[in-house]
Amino acid sequence: MDNLNYLFAAYTVIWVAVFGYVFFLHLKHRRLQRQIELLEAEKDKQQTN
Amino acid sequence: MKDYVKIIAIVWKDIISEIRSKEIGGSVLVFCLLVVVIFNFAFQSDEAAIGLVAPGILWVSFTFAGVLGLNHIFAAEKENSCLEGLMLCPVERHVIYWGKLIGSLIFMLVVEAIITPIFLALYNLPILLPGLALIIVLATLGFVSVGTLFSAMAANTRAREIMLPVLFLPIVIPVIIAAVKATGLILDGEPWGELWTWLQIIIAFDVIFLVISALVFEFVIEE
Amino acid sequence: MRYNALFGLGLALMVVALYLVFIYAPTEKTMGDTQRIFYFHVAIAWVAFLAFFVVFVCSILYLWKRAIKWDIIARSSAGLGVLFTTLVLITGPIWARPAWGVWWTWDPRLTATLVLWFTYIAYLLVRSYAVEESRGARFAAVLGIVAFVNVPIVYLSIHLWQTHHPPELVSDLGTSMLVTLLVSIAAFTVLYILLLVRSISLVKMEMQIKRLAQEDARLNPRKE
Repeated sequence: MDNLNYLFAAYTVIWVAVFGYVFFLHLKHRRLQRQIELLEAEKDKQQTN
Repeated sequence: MKDYVKIIAIVWKDIISEIRSKEIGGSVLVFCLLVVVIFNFAFQSDEAAIGLVAPGILWVSFTFAGVLGLNHIFAAEKENSCLEGLMLCPVERHVIYWGKLIGSLIFMLVVEAIITPIFLALYNLPILLPGLALIIVLATLGFVSVGTLFSAMAANTRAREIMLPVLFLPIVIPVIIAAVKATGLILDGEPWGELWTWLQIIIAFDVIFLVISALVFEFVIEE
Repeated sequence: MRYNALFGLGLALMVVALYLVFIYAPTEKTMGDTQRIFYFHVAIAWVAFLAFFVVFVCSILYLWKRAIKWDIIARSSAGLGVLFTTLVLITGPIWARPAWGVWWTWDPRLTATLVLWFTYIAYLLVRSYAVEESRGARFAAVLGIVAFVNVPIVYLSIHLWQTHHPPELVSDLGTSMLVTLLVSIAAFTVLYILLLVRSISLVKMEMQIKRLAQEDARLNPRKE
């Protein structure tokens, strides 16, 4: 039944979208985390000077 | 000073400056007419089809012209920093809203009053329709109720010319639907029953959004 | 700790939901197996609406209390709302095509979702096009309130407009279908909450970075 193709398509879209978004959040988290660590290291360096 | 005196003052100021500068009135009028004519060419010259789409054409042209006109409400104020001046006056914020609202309502009604007979003539439709006047007034009131609010918002945003329609159009979809339906019914000479349902929607929209917009307006123009 | 518990719950619910959708729920008479799209489609639509409701409430709270946390929640919820609404608009046609032979019907629910989508987009745009952040937050809050109040009016007007068009889509549900639907809704609600918490913490991180960067700039003015 090729109708199942539609079912498959719909659920695939949902999973791709959800996982894609989760991945996007993950990447953003990593980037921001790195920035925070950099800035805090800067701050510590300034304070010890 | 009573509130309504202040409101009238704001309206009068806008009317005077519009008459003096003739900045936007003429162009909006011409644009509206152009849209009506272009839509005529967009649809094949099929008598029956024209009858069906005529209400839609009228309201699309009013909507587009409305967006242009609404952009103008606060654009000039913003550019000449009149808004700050206006806010320094001891007026409550919603007074400014009402003043701007009435001003743009008058502006739009004038444009519509000129365009409608021309439109009806172009499409060979009956011209004297008091019911149509009622629909136009009520629907326009709905337009300007949220339009004034969003115009103030867009004026304080980058890309303001495109922000206004993006903000405004989704919200007024119910008004457009109801106005087109009601206009269609009137032009077909239908009895009151169904027409009243659509008018109720427009009236409900007007009341709800006049109140809400007046309430939240101060949050939009505060510095 | 609480987040991990919630994550476990969400995962469990999702697995159960999938089982219910694909194995437990009976095959629908007229539409066949493609009808199974319905469960997640409706569940996502429900969560999209929930997200918008959260935006509405937080917008009011933000304008009233002016505490920044309300704005943070609102903007995170709006982002999720766009995601979920987009999914509804994609899965809707995918379901409609085999079921009714058309990609799109102007039925009240789908059309109202489309209008909702436009308003969410406008919400995000007004933030990014604002001249300064606090203004963007205020404008977005106003829009969040106006748009949500508009939803019933939009739905009603499209519904009335619809009387000459194909009828509404959903027939009545048997109990097993209802259970499947409810579990799906629960699963996606938990997912929404998890993603919301994550998004909020990301926004807070961005604000922290901004603060640190400002401090840094203040303590060390660059000698250009």
